[in-house]
Amino acid sequence: MKNVLTIFKKEFYRVMSDRRLVFTAILLPGLAIYVMYTFIGSAIGNEYEDITEHTMIIYTENMPAEIENFLDTQEINPEFYDYNSSNHEELEAQILAGEVDMLIIFSETFEDDVDNLIVSDILIYYNPGKKYSEYTFSVIANALHSYANVIGLDRYGDSYYAFTLDSEVIMDEEKAAGQGFAMLLPMLIIMFLFSGAMSIGPDSIAGEKERGTIATLLITPVKRSEIAIGKVLSLSVISMFSATSSFIGIMLSLPNLTSGSGGTLDVFIYGISDYIYLFAVLLATVLVIVGLISVISAYAKTIKEASMLILPFYFISMALGISTMFSGEASNDLWIYFTPIYSSVNMIIAILTFDISITAFIITISTSLVYVTIFIYILNKLFQSERIMFQK
Amino acid sequence: MNTLEVSNLKKTFRLSKKQQKIEKTNIKLKVAVNDLSFTAYPGEIFGLLGPNGAGKTTCLRAISTLIKPDEGDIIVGGSSVKNDSISVRGKIGFLTSELKLEDHFTPNYLYTYFSRLHGIEEEIIEERKIVFFEKFGIEEFKEVKVGDLSTGMKQKVSIAISLVHNPDFIIFDEPTNGLDVLTARSVMDYLIELKESGKTVILSTHILSVVDKLCDRVGIIINGKMKICDTLENVLKTSPNNDLEEIFFDLVKEEELSGGVN
Ligand SMILES: Nc1ncnc2c1ncn2[C@@H]1O[C@H](COP(=O)(O)OP(=O)(O)OP(=O)(O)O)[C@@H](O)[C@H]1O
Ligand SMILES: [Mg+2]
Repeated sequence: MKNVLTIFKKEFYRVMSDRRLVFTAILLPGLAIYVMYTFIGSAIGNEYEDITEHTMIIYTENMPAEIENFLDTQEINPEFYDYNSSNHEELEAQILAGEVDMLIIFSETFEDDVDNLIVSDILIYYNPGKKYSEYTFSVIANALHSYANVIGLDRYGDSYYAFTLDSEVIMDEEKAAGQGFAMLLPMLIIMFLFSGAMSIGPDSIAGEKERGTIATLLITPVKRSEIAIGKVLSLSVISMFSATSSFIGIMLSLPNLTSGSGGTLDVFIYGISDYIYLFAVLLATVLVIVGLISVISAYAKTIKEASMLILPFYFISMALGISTMFSGEASNDLWIYFTPIYSSVNMIIAILTFDISITAFIITISTSLVYVTIFIYILNKLFQSERIMFQK
Repeated sequence: MNTLEVSNLKKTFRLSKKQQKIEKTNIKLKVAVNDLSFTAYPGEIFGLLGPNGAGKTTCLRAISTLIKPDEGDIIVGGSSVKNDSISVRGKIGFLTSELKLEDHFTPNYLYTYFSRLHGIEEEIIEERKIVFFEKFGIEEFKEVKVGDLSTGMKQKVSIAISLVHNPDFIIFDEPTNGLDVLTARSVMDYLIELKESGKTVILSTHILSVVDKLCDRVGIIINGKMKICDTLENVLKTSPNNDLEEIFFDLVKEEELSGGVN
């Protein structure tokens, strides 16, 4: 146990006393995610503002003054130009290019038709591939529908309506907000746990082989298993730091991310117990990831080879994180909670969406512990294998 | 008795595909050390002399319990590497030729770290550290990171670290490799000091002058086989001019003719 502590302290000191490593392995994940999210948030916000404040360029023919007045009452800023049929093709090209947002053609007799109960056709040209044009269409079409309703109501009174529609939203707002988190967080957490461990694991284990210090280490009376546990523990603690930093980054940037699009995600919907569950799952996940990275690093001959061999596992784990992104719901299939990493992904979602099943939680934690035990056992065997330790 | 006895040591490696390519061979097995026997005595320096790839490192690794003999055994002060490797480890100090200490740490930190792993009490660690650091002149740069030290300084630190537990048997793989004359000299002087204090010293080298100046006994190993093994005096007698270089070249030529050296 004393040896485990000695090794732990040395590995821990190695990272913590190296400003560059502290920055890349611990601070950078949090900082990167904060900057990224804030940037995305403000980009979404800017886009929204940009579209709503854009002046719509609309060509019209025979537009009744009444409709123009009606449109003026809406919260939009259109600018109307007169249509000239001899320029039609040029106008279509301009719509295609996004220079003009819409062409709207009323029949010459529109107002008379409306008065005489003749169905009149309004023809609209627009380009759904251009954001301003698309937005102009949706706003104008909406306005015209409302206008039609006003006329209908004038004509027939209440009997105009076949029925009216009322809806009452029954939604667990916290769960919906939680699903917002659940979409992105599992992937980000797995990604940052992995990259934190990846930036230090190969150096700590494959590095010993590359530098030849492994011989000096193996010649001491320290048990191979103590070396294995000491390394895994220090890597885990440091990876937890980097996970915590990403977590803080996410928490701080979420308000920036969501305010832009008008939505709100309140971070404080979770209670202490949720955080404890989350922490337990994170810890279990860190152990599995670090165990895996350690085994690969012990197998590889050099730091570079170790980093290469880890990559496929990194991508698989990311894919597992992404796979649940769109459903935003945790799986109910208990078997899933026996799968390393994937169990964590689902468990994180379950916690965030207030959907936690204690059985699944226990399975996740205990299987993770089993996996890390297996990894430490393999690591111990690898340290014992002269073929692996001293391969040419 | 603090003798070290290697008897009929044999070690075969399986060659990886990559290694086969490098050595331009399609043989899957490489006998690195073949039926090697010698004895090293306390108060003496035993020199294992051989060209590149002769099997020196393999032999020293087997003595240090890092790899297991396929055949034969090694008895270190009464303990066998085969079934009592833990007690062998307590008795030997091993310095590998490819050792590169971690750049990020200071000599002071690494000395304490490896001492602790050897289970040495804190007081004794500090006592020995002072003596060692003084002797090797490490004191002045003990708080400088290894990465910032010169090759010679690094090697001195490596030696200090391999001897933290004051072992009776000292196994040094090419200890003067890559050192300038001055540093090489101070390392050699230290090895003599160790032998005079009654330690059993084994070193490997391909530098003839090192053997000439330092060794009491010498074993010339070529292609995994011990070609000649005796006191330096007796070995030198086998040549009319008492010339170690001549003896060495003759042995290499002999092995080439028998088709052993590639
Ligand atoms: N782990 C290993 N796997 C495969 N082959 C090995 C291994 N270790 C050594 N060998 C081979 O065994 C032979 C002896 O190698 P060894 O390192 O013992 O030689 P050496 O005398 O120390 O040479 P050098 O002067 O280059 O250090 C070489 O051909 C080497 O390629
Ligand atoms: Mg060698």
